[in-house]
Amino acid sequence: MKGFIAFTKKEFMEQIRTYRLLIMLCVFFLFGMMSPLLAKLTPEILSGMELQGIQLIIPEATAMDAYSQFFQNINEMGLIVILLVFGGIISNELTKGTLVNILAKGLPRHTVILSKYVAAFALWTVSYLISALTNYGYTAYLFENSTVKNLFFSLLCLWLFGGFVLSLIFLSSALTGGNFGGLILTAIALGSLLLINIFPWAQKFNPIYLSSHNLELLSGTLSPSEVIKPLVITILLIVVCLYTSILLFKKKKI
Amino acid sequence: MEILELKEVHKQFGELKVIQDLSFSVMEHSVFGFIGKNGAGKTTTMKMILGFLQPNAGEIYVSGEKVTYGNANTNRHIGYLPDVPEFYGYMNPKEYLKLCGEITGLKKEQINKKSEELLSLVGLDGVNRKIRGFSRGMKQRLGIAQALLNEPKLLICDEPTSALDPIGRKEILDILSVAREKTTIVFSTHILSDVERICDSIGVLDNGKLILQGTVPEIKNNRRKDTVQIEVANLKHTKELEEKLKKLPFVMETTVVENCINIQLTKADKFGMEILAFLIKENIPVMRYEIMEPSLENVFLEVVG
Repeated sequence: MKGFIAFTKKEFMEQIRTYRLLIMLCVFFLFGMMSPLLAKLTPEILSGMELQGIQLIIPEATAMDAYSQFFQNINEMGLIVILLVFGGIISNELTKGTLVNILAKGLPRHTVILSKYVAAFALWTVSYLISALTNYGYTAYLFENSTVKNLFFSLLCLWLFGGFVLSLIFLSSALTGGNFGGLILTAIALGSLLLINIFPWAQKFNPIYLSSHNLELLSGTLSPSEVIKPLVITILLIVVCLYTSILLFKKKKI
Repeated sequence: MEILELKEVHKQFGELKVIQDLSFSVMEHSVFGFIGKNGAGKTTTMKMILGFLQPNAGEIYVSGEKVTYGNANTNRHIGYLPDVPEFYGYMNPKEYLKLCGEITGLKKEQINKKSEELLSLVGLDGVNRKIRGFSRGMKQRLGIAQALLNEPKLLICDEPTSALDPIGRKEILDILSVAREKTTIVFSTHILSDVERICDSIGVLDNGKLILQGTVPEIKNNRRKDTVQIEVANLKHTKELEEKLKKLPFVMETTVVENCINIQLTKADKFGMEILAFLIKENIPVMRYEIMEPSLENVFLEVVG
């Protein structure tokens, strides 16, 4: 346990001193700011354009548009930022050899994986929380009648999906070697999940469900009870990914 | 007591047999020099001792406990200095030692006390810069500090001096000389003068096998070629002297290099006296008389080559 606390503290120090914390907080704060603002301004920008007589009927923006922007931003740009910031979390240490001293001190290898996951997940959680809160506050400020349904649950789904992506990075890094092996394999895995999502029967088993049905939850066309299945599956997959990466990491040559 | 014991260890990478049937043991409170050419398998052996690599066969014991691959509990007895130690560049030496201390489970006061002690031992006290700006020698010294932090029973150093300049090398050897008072040191190298300076016993590794093992004086004694060298003052005497020496019954061979005569005899310690007596009898002015010691380098080249 002492080793776990010490190594997790080291991870947090690393996040601060290598600017990962700063990047994550800034980017996700920006997502939270931009989403409602863009939703509000888009109709005005469009209506201000010279359209040579073409009549555009633009419905007035609502809070739903703001949330739509928000989920889209996190899902696309946010995912890329996560991959870039956390992609090298294990492979960097392996290629540089910084773990040699630490493991020679007798730190169990599973502690390395668990510490790193806890620290990465904590940073993701804080960044996401800031993003969601900013978005919530700004939406409430910019739009009248900003109430939506199942907001907390919908946000929770995307948060868990982020945790799943992190566990995929860990598994991929334990499977491959080199600097970018983990990053590439994670991208491939996510791509495959998107492909599988084409089949309707597979959707309910796919973690992608958590990041692709957030708006239906907000509008009430999808009830939370229907998301329980993919939610539980995703939690199980996170555990499986981490457990497998620990097993693989124990067999890794250092 | 044996602090480290290897029993019939084999290791191969694919088809390449790196270590074959390697067995040796290191006694407590000694300095063991692990010598071999580049690629002889020194680092591989050390990594197996640390549980970083899995032997294909054989067993390794540290302080009587068996080493298991992947989760080596035995590492709590070991301090390890890799050949090129890598650190977290965003930390300063104190922070790094704190991390290492916390991982080994030392108490806060112990960490502070030990850190200060070790940093002054390795000459890094008061250095508050980040490690990323350190020179190789500084990293090597910090490497020794972190390896000694948990007061290990066994300190394993992988070529600690190979990449350093003469001053850096001397510093590291001095530090190791201090460290040997408290711990057992296994130290791999291909710099033989370092070995002669600090090692009690050595093992020479070649093609994955230990081809020579023993204490330094023992090895030198066993490998001693009985050679006596005489340096005479006057060049005129050398030819004449050589002829006369050749006629002595115990002299096997003589060679002349400038004003030195090398004489090979059957037993240098016994018949050497007779040579001295002969020189006095013949009234030959001698500048130097020496029973030649085999250098470790010659021994090494002989067994490896």
